Amino acid sequence: MLLRTDNSISRKLTWMNMLVSGAALLLACASFITYDMLTFRATMVRNLSTQAQIIGSNSVSALLFNDSQSAENTLSALKAAHNILSAGIYSKDGVLFASYSRDPGNHNLAIPSLLRGQPEIHWFKNKEVVLVRSIVFEGKPTGTVCIRSDVEELDSGLKRYVVIASIVLAVCLVAALLVSSVFRRAVAEPIIHLAEVARAVSREKNYAVRATRTHGSGELAILIDAFNEMLAQIQQNESALREARDDLEQRVTERTAELERAKREVETFSFSILRAKEELERSSKFKDQFLSTMSHELRTPLNAVLGFSELLTEERYGPLNERQQRYVKHIHTGGKHLLRLINDILDLSKIEAGRLELTIENVPVPTSFAEVVDIMRSLADKKSQTLLQEAPSGLSVRADPTRFKQVLMNLIGNAIKFTPEGGAIRLLAHRLDEGVRVEVRDSGPGIPVEEQQRIFEAFYRLGETDKKTEGTGLGLAITRRLVELHGGTLGLESQPGSGSCFFFTLPVADAVVKPDVPASRREIRTPEFPRILVIEDDRAAALLLQSHLISAGYDVVLCDQPGRALEMAAELQPSAVTMDIIMKPVNGWELLSTFKTDPRTAGIPVVLVTIIDQPATGASLGADEYIVKPVEKATLLAAVERCMNHHKHIGRTRPILVVEDDAPTREFVGELLSKHGYVVTTATDGRQARAQVEASLPELVILDLILPEVSGFELLAEWRTNSRTAELPVFVLTSKDLTPGEQDYIRTHTAVLLQKQQPWQETLIAQLRRALPGVLSEKS
Amino acid sequence: MGHSSDTSGWLSGIRRGLLPDFPRGWAPLAGVVVALVFLVTTGLLAQQSKPNEYQVKATYLYNFGRFVRWPGTVSAGKGDSFSVCVIGRDPFGSILDSTLAGETLDGKPVVLRRISKPQDAGECRILFISSTEEKHLSEILAALDQSGVLTVSDIPGFTRRGGMIQFVLDGDRVRFEINLTSTESARLTLSSELLKVAASVKRNGRSGD
Repeated sequence: MLLRTDNSISRKLTWMNMLVSGAALLLACASFITYDMLTFRATMVRNLSTQAQIIGSNSVSALLFNDSQSAENTLSALKAAHNILSAGIYSKDGVLFASYSRDPGNHNLAIPSLLRGQPEIHWFKNKEVVLVRSIVFEGKPTGTVCIRSDVEELDSGLKRYVVIASIVLAVCLVAALLVSSVFRRAVAEPIIHLAEVARAVSREKNYAVRATRTHGSGELAILIDAFNEMLAQIQQNESALREARDDLEQRVTERTAELERAKREVETFSFSILRAKEELERSSKFKDQFLSTMSHELRTPLNAVLGFSELLTEERYGPLNERQQRYVKHIHTGGKHLLRLINDILDLSKIEAGRLELTIENVPVPTSFAEVVDIMRSLADKKSQTLLQEAPSGLSVRADPTRFKQVLMNLIGNAIKFTPEGGAIRLLAHRLDEGVRVEVRDSGPGIPVEEQQRIFEAFYRLGETDKKTEGTGLGLAITRRLVELHGGTLGLESQPGSGSCFFFTLPVADAVVKPDVPASRREIRTPEFPRILVIEDDRAAALLLQSHLISAGYDVVLCDQPGRALEMAAELQPSAVTMDIIMKPVNGWELLSTFKTDPRTAGIPVVLVTIIDQPATGASLGADEYIVKPVEKATLLAAVERCMNHHKHIGRTRPILVVEDDAPTREFVGELLSKHGYVVTTATDGRQARAQVEASLPELVILDLILPEVSGFELLAEWRTNSRTAELPVFVLTSKDLTPGEQDYIRTHTAVLLQKQQPWQETLIAQLRRALPGVLSEKS
Repeated sequence: MGHSSDTSGWLSGIRRGLLPDFPRGWAPLAGVVVALVFLVTTGLLAQQSKPNEYQVKATYLYNFGRFVRWPGTVSAGKGDSFSVCVIGRDPFGSILDSTLAGETLDGKPVVLRRISKPQDAGECRILFISSTEEKHLSEILAALDQSGVLTVSDIPGFTRRGGMIQFVLDGDRVRFEINLTSTESARLTLSSELLKVAASVKRNGRSGD
């Protein structure tokens, strides 16, 4: 390696020297030779010219007196010049006059006319030079002389020069070689030494070595000094670095130990956190389970209490005396209160636990208002309060329909509670920019400012001392949370003495032309549904009737033009007709008599719905039922149902299977169905139900979900995968709080989902009527 | 004519070196043209190079004047022209007139004069003595003695009899003989060049060779 580097630099230096001196010498020799050759040539031409002149002037007389012998004598003098190949003298006319040739047969044939007025020309050609000169005597051209000479002398001169130049070059190059070896000692060796030291430093990392200094103060000396200085600095830096590194290592070791300690601590800590989290999850799961169990376990007995007390008041099984009647009512009222309280507590816990999930859809506000007002009207009526609702038709909100109604009912219930008798409660809705503002205004005493915030707290009750107002104290708290879950805020504007206004805002939905019917109902609608024609020229009243009837599973057609009513009825052939009396231009009495006299419509049952209390007139004109406004939903449905039943045929008598593990509930449901004319069998658990369905296919199954051994979900899954039972209608009746996933599953695989926390009896009957139109037996 | 074809070949070689190349297709045509031109010109030259005897003699008469130096006193005394005189019957005809027309010698215009008496030759520089005057030769020469006149004749034995330059025929070549004694006595200087080409140079009739 050392040798190679050595070779490299000294060889480079030697080559440099040789090349420079060689090139310079070659150039010098070449120019010198060129110059000399040119000079030589010029001299040669000059000599030839002189010879030509001499010959010319010596041949004048020979030419003039035509004495070629004399001319040839003159020419023969050229023998002395060895380079002359041939020569010739030409007469003025260009005729060869005399000639000379060094070698025999080598004739000179130059033509003097080539001169063209010049005294002399010459040219080099084929290693020869030819010179032509005119002979002038006394100013007159007398003839021409032409001499040809070889250039051997030139050639030999050139050869000589080349030899000399080669020798000089060789000698000089040897000299250059010697000189370069001196240079090598002076320049290359210090550099090689420097390179060796540098290599040693980089190989051995030994910064203590130093390059030997050369004499003098030239660039090399400066380079070596700078190199040594650099080494010194590196050495210094390196030792500093090593110290820093040692220090750093020490610190790193310490820090690593610290980190290790900290890591262990964190691990311990995170382990404990993990355990805490697991515990938390477990307890949260317990809580959920508890809530779920509670909702089921509390509601099931309550449903029995409520259901049977209701049955008792109907006096189906013997008359009750007045005291018994009152006690049963107390049981029923207390049970209802308890159910509400349980529902509220469970709702609130679910909301607080963040487990309440909303099913947001487009909800038409007028329909919801009508339903809520209808439900709440009986309460208001008890206190002689007016309950008004006002909403622009076609206005819809994005909300969970059930929860939206719950909010409205809570607020209206509150207003009814705190408004004195004869007061007014108004339910309003109007469109804002991006939302819908819903207000519940009352004419009550108002709420003092200091209480306005506190009333939204759970278990806070306004006027604590006032024991006569009953309630759970949870209504407003739940309402507020529900509104917040919908993305709104529940607010209150109130001044003592001038009433209160609760309001909230919900996002607006795109206007829907048709009222949005909840999915579960829509799914099972078929053309077979009993169709009711509602003849009513007051739109609000018509909507209310429609809402009631639709909720019971009827297909409703509205007719707001009494004049067209007969034609519509004749065409549609509805199962029943509801008819108002006070209408224009044709009133109900006239219309009724027309209906009953027209053979196309005479068979259609008519329910009169009117504020005029003249049932006898109605009956005399052929009305089947007579209802005085305001219309209660139950009254309306019962009346319509009676009308329908008159026209039903006795159908098949396959039983309805009620699967329910709770004996009271099972008995109550059975009783309820029998009351409405259905044949019932029961099963106390899943296994029994499975066996019964295998033995004989029932008309329909009413299924509880929470059953011992085999749950309702399992049964449902089994039946739906079996082709025999795939189309078996199943109603789910449960007190379990369902997740949206479970709800979806049930809605996909069953006809109806009933939840016991809501009033469900009416819905069950309505849905049964819709699902099994031909099964009802004639009412006894 | 042997050398004329050689000349054309050589010439075309020269031309090829000195002149720009003809387009390739033209080269043979150009060669033919050049050859024709040379055939014609060399033919003319060949005709001219064969002059008759008196043409040559006329030219020589003129050329003698170029190689002879007259003494200053003589040339000054012979007027403003250089007279070439012919005595006796003129053998040249008009040839001599045309040869000398427009020439100068010794810085003076050449004039041709024909004379009949030797006394008229006083201003002559060159006197051609016709062969018709052979009988009066001695008389003529005697009359011209010391008068600086170059005497030329083709009378046989002219130099022997005191004449200066005598034409002689060597085959069909015209040559001349010189009597130096006569020229020296007339104080005329003859160029060595002239002597070099003379057929013979004598003194007092003896041959100088």
